[in-house]
Amino acid sequence: MKILEASVGPLTNLEVFNFLKSKGASKDPTRVLADVAPSEYKVVYDYLVETAACNQTRENINEFLEKSKRYDLAKAEVLNIINIRPTTPVEIYSMIEQCDDRFGDTVEELVEIVAEVLPPPPTEIASDEGINEANLKTGNKENNDKEQVNEGKEKAAE
Amino acid sequence: MFNLSRLEHTFRVPPDLLSRPIAEAIKGELEKLFLDKVIPNLGLCISVYDIRSIEGGFILPSEGAATYTVVFTMIMFRPFVGEIIGAKLKDSDANGLRLSLGFFYDIYVPANLLPQPSRHEPDPRKRGRVTWIWDYDGQDFVIDWQDEIRFQVRSVSYPPIPIEQPKESKPFAPMVITGSLDFDGSGPVSWWTDAVQVE
Repeated sequence: MKILEASVGPLTNLEVFNFLKSKGASKDPTRVLADVAPSEYKVVYDYLVETAACNQTRENINEFLEKSKRYDLAKAEVLNIINIRPTTPVEIYSMIEQCDDRFGDTVEELVEIVAEVLPPPPTEIASDEGINEANLKTGNKENNDKEQVNEGKEKAAE
Repeated sequence: MFNLSRLEHTFRVPPDLLSRPIAEAIKGELEKLFLDKVIPNLGLCISVYDIRSIEGGFILPSEGAATYTVVFTMIMFRPFVGEIIGAKLKDSDANGLRLSLGFFYDIYVPANLLPQPSRHEPDPRKRGRVTWIWDYDGQDFVIDWQDEIRFQVRSVSYPPIPIEQPKESKPFAPMVITGSLDFDGSGPVSWWTDAVQVE
């Protein structure tokens, strides 16, 4: 084996996700018929499906690249931001070298752009709903309990 | 995290694949040869991206199969130093943490790269396992099993294949990532989202 070119170019998580999906990786049980190796399947469904890449589209990424141009980020930094989708300044700090010197207060703007342009990962949506529900439950626990009792009665009546 | 690499390889295509189209047969063979394997200094092979050229097809003396030289592009998993990656906790002992990406498990965070000051408490459910706790201003932050953990890649190493493996040692890992959690924004994601809400 000969290595002709060690790095032809980096790929975002989204590109890998789409590539493997186009090969036929899916949650469908008939996937065993598709030409996907188990290791490829693992990449998609054990890892990528829980990352931000899952809901991104090419348009999102192009829009982000366009909007982030004026911040003069390095390629690796942009790639990292797209893959992780940091939504708080503290998360983005570690991804950008010498963030304080280069950005100062504009880092907040960048975070806003990330949150606006790139869609949230599926786990975040789910956990947000979970938290809301949990809050409701603790807040109106008695009401909920009563409702449940009522529901139960209704069902019994039916 | 993922990269494309251009490779060239010369290999035999067994004659039972003669009935299939050549490109398909070669792709299948490449997948058999490379997928889920580590190439030193290049990373873990994820998938065959495309095949650039197929040359040869010679039958070497005393062989019953054609040998081709193929140039192809491979999707590699090769994180760069300084990259932030989200992972899950796989194991946790007194030496530090072991993280998993689902398809890659050899990510280690040694104790000295955990957030300081950290301490560990034995896990009651399993012997030898510990729970790491970051003590920040008297507040305890626990590294738990549910959360996604963000770490920074400190180094990626490709240890040489050992000639003799000591008995009862860990299985050999051809690619080892050392990660760190000792900066703001690292560790379980919930540490930081909660912190923002408190502010």
